[in-house]
Amino acid sequence: MRVTRMKSLFKRELTDIFRDRKTLIMMVLVPLLLYPLLIVGMTLITSAVASDQEEKLYEVAFYQVDEQDKIKDVLEKNKEELSYELTIVSTENPEKDLMEKKLDAYVSSEEKDGKVQYYIHYLSAETDSCTAADVLFDGMELLREELRKEKVAELNLDETAVLYPISYEQTDMSTKEESMGSMLGSIIPMLMITSICLGAIYPAIDVTAGEKERGTLETLLTLPVTNFELIMSKFLAVSVIACISAFLNIISMAGAFGFMFSFLADSAGGVVFDFASFIPAIVISIVIMMVFALFVTAACMCVCIFAKSFKEANNYITPVLLVFMFASYSAMLPDFKLTTGTAAIPIINITLLIKDIFNFQYNYGLFAIVFFTNLAYSLLTIMVLGKIYNSEAILFSEGFTSLKIFNKRSEMKKGQMPRYGDLILLICISLLAIFYIGSYATVKWGFWGVFVQQLIILLIPICYGWYMKTDFKKLFAIKIPGIKDIFAAICVFAGGFCINLLLSNVLSAFMKESAENLQTTFDYLLEQPFVLIVFVMSVMPAVGEELMFRGFTFGTLKEKNKPVVAMLITSIIFGCYHFSLVKLIPTGFLGFLLAMLVYRTGSIFTGMLMHFLNNFVSLFVSKYEEQLVAKYPDFMDLSFGLGQNVNLILMMVIGVVFLVVGFMLTSGSKKKL
Amino acid sequence: MLKAEHLSKVFVRTVLEESKKKTMKKSVKEEFYAVNHISLEVEKGEILGILGPNGAGKTTLLRMLGTLMEPTEGKVTIEDSKGNLLTDPVEMKKSIGYLSGNTKLYHRLSTREMLTMLGEIYGLSKEECEKRSEEIFNVLDMKSFCDNRIEKLSTGQTQRASIARCLIHNPDIYIFDEPTLGLDILSADAIVNFMKEQKKLGKTVLYSTHYLEEAQFLCDRVLMIYKGSILKEGTPKQIMEDTKTENLREAFHVIMEGVDNQ
Repeated sequence: MRVTRMKSLFKRELTDIFRDRKTLIMMVLVPLLLYPLLIVGMTLITSAVASDQEEKLYEVAFYQVDEQDKIKDVLEKNKEELSYELTIVSTENPEKDLMEKKLDAYVSSEEKDGKVQYYIHYLSAETDSCTAADVLFDGMELLREELRKEKVAELNLDETAVLYPISYEQTDMSTKEESMGSMLGSIIPMLMITSICLGAIYPAIDVTAGEKERGTLETLLTLPVTNFELIMSKFLAVSVIACISAFLNIISMAGAFGFMFSFLADSAGGVVFDFASFIPAIVISIVIMMVFALFVTAACMCVCIFAKSFKEANNYITPVLLVFMFASYSAMLPDFKLTTGTAAIPIINITLLIKDIFNFQYNYGLFAIVFFTNLAYSLLTIMVLGKIYNSEAILFSEGFTSLKIFNKRSEMKKGQMPRYGDLILLICISLLAIFYIGSYATVKWGFWGVFVQQLIILLIPICYGWYMKTDFKKLFAIKIPGIKDIFAAICVFAGGFCINLLLSNVLSAFMKESAENLQTTFDYLLEQPFVLIVFVMSVMPAVGEELMFRGFTFGTLKEKNKPVVAMLITSIIFGCYHFSLVKLIPTGFLGFLLAMLVYRTGSIFTGMLMHFLNNFVSLFVSKYEEQLVAKYPDFMDLSFGLGQNVNLILMMVIGVVFLVVGFMLTSGSKKKL
Repeated sequence: MLKAEHLSKVFVRTVLEESKKKTMKKSVKEEFYAVNHISLEVEKGEILGILGPNGAGKTTLLRMLGTLMEPTEGKVTIEDSKGNLLTDPVEMKKSIGYLSGNTKLYHRLSTREMLTMLGEIYGLSKEECEKRSEEIFNVLDMKSFCDNRIEKLSTGQTQRASIARCLIHNPDIYIFDEPTLGLDILSADAIVNFMKEQKKLGKTVLYSTHYLEEAQFLCDRVLMIYKGSILKEGTPKQIMEDTKTENLREAFHVIMEGVDNQ
């Protein structure tokens, strides 16, 4: 991929899109005018309807009611409180009149068990009738109250003691911002997703089907660029438009809702809202919406690419739009929450995340899952898009018969090394497999779910490598290590462990809450027999994660990058893979040491050994913490207590010494990869 | 110089067949050769005409030669003016100017903007690009409308803009797929003259056409293809002698009749 070529292609796509008035209307005018108009209009209409209802006269009748004068009196007296006005009409056949809507409601009565039973007849299908019935119902309540008071007075009793022995009241402890947020959280996702789709769809069709329809696609194909560069420049251009439209939407919505609430606040008697409390929500929304815009763009383009004309593309995109919209309604379901399970479902996770942040619930672990899964979905969709666009059948509109997205294994070249595309695909697949299969299994089978999760990590790189007939020995650095290498692994482990303990302690002091969460999940796993725990949580990750990260990931990256760069990227991916802010830096650091060790010894087994030792010691200490503290209080305090500064520095020195010794052991060997 | 060896392209088409249930037809996928093992070579300063009825495989052949399509079998190689042998499609495209009825232009850009954009993609510097654009505008007499949006141009002006597109990177090889189709006499002549000019400059020209008179006086060599295979190859004169005819049109009829009789 050439950056300069991509840049000129991208520039051309953007110029083309921006010169199209329709796109600009969809992107700029819709969010900037439609929302304000819609929301302001709705606010005004709702308040107008409400006041209209209050002014309306409702026609009601009393049919065979002996005490109707009393009821009329009560209604008349409490006119203000009821805030609706009723006119009483007389009628011969109230049922017929009600059915014919000449009446809004009527009251009838009968003697039952020695007292009077009133019936309020109304039509629930008619709004006016319902209102009238409600007013009558309230009137009857008032009448009963009055009659009670009379009775109490007749019997010479204390009114308060008999009728009101207790009093009660509801107090809303939510702040005004919270109740506003809860309301916003249920509508904003839908509005935002719909508007991003609208922003992305038009240019997506324009650059794919529109291009075919105008006949400029073949012109593009005569240029000295690869199809992948072409589609990426198109993708980037549409994403930019989708992102701009997402951004404009959020800003416009913030403005419109701001207006709405200040309007409501004014009418509610000058309550002041603290808009600043929504700034984090808005910022997170913008970030997550940008990632989502990438996904929407790629998905829309994947569909539109099959169409030969604008019209056809419109037909294809409609069901997609419906799926997006229906999924975005999920935020309105009251008990549908963002959990580890729902955080991986596309579209729905975005909806629930926005709902959460507007409800001031910040669960950064889940946010990270939403962010990364969306990134994974986007990347996967982009790769599919690239594959489709590479097909001549699609480019020259020859139908789908020869479209090929995945190559058969028999077509793979033997001994090939994976490329960046393979790596991205592998990471995305693993990520989604961990979320879907892994988290399902963990919820369902507890400890054995962790086993399944580890199995996924272990199997995916092996299967992918088998499928593409890669050179296993080269990619995964499979080589028996020498004695020196084994000692090096142990030394690096010891050094890494010391420094990591230090890092973890310092970091968890900053992020107390998440560290506690981490601890609880660990405890629950430790209930199993120790041998099993060691197998599932030390041996399996040591093998699986090493194959995945130091094997496949590092093996692929070092082909085209400097070793240090490859190590850094590997360790960042390894750190992110643990989905925890507290763990990010320590695991990233560990990942770097592992990658360096594997690189310098040329053997994945040294990495596996170090990884095993690291996990094993952590497990051992957590399991036998009490016994250890009892037996070696000084040592434990020194290693894990870290109470005093002296220990911090000491640990640091020990760690660095071990690391230096470890890597010196490897420096003489010629076994580098 | 452009060389193609055993070039083939296989397409899949769906055929409706009678099935056992009389009311329904079964759709069957069938592979067929749109281009069937064609080898050819075009030298510098040569104009090669590709003739054939509709559906003969002319467009597919030219698309493969222009590296827009990947051949199912065989390969295309180019020797550029510096004597380098090119095999990579992206590199080859830099030496090819490809024009067909399907290569439309971007309506929302002006000719000048389009040339600048293309020049950047072909790797020209900004100054080179400007210089080259000016030259092209002079040669093709486009000064008066080179800053108008392409959607506002007339058919003849658009055709000139299309030629300008093929010229910006000064290619060694021109591949034109029915370039004069549907044009008025003036515009068609302009294109024919353009090809002659390029021949004089030592460029290689490949073009397909239905206008046999045009091919007769323009082409150094012609290739008649039918159902993906070469029927006849040679200079127009040779072909006329072989078929004992006065012009290419008659020769074409004679050759096609021969095929039908077989």
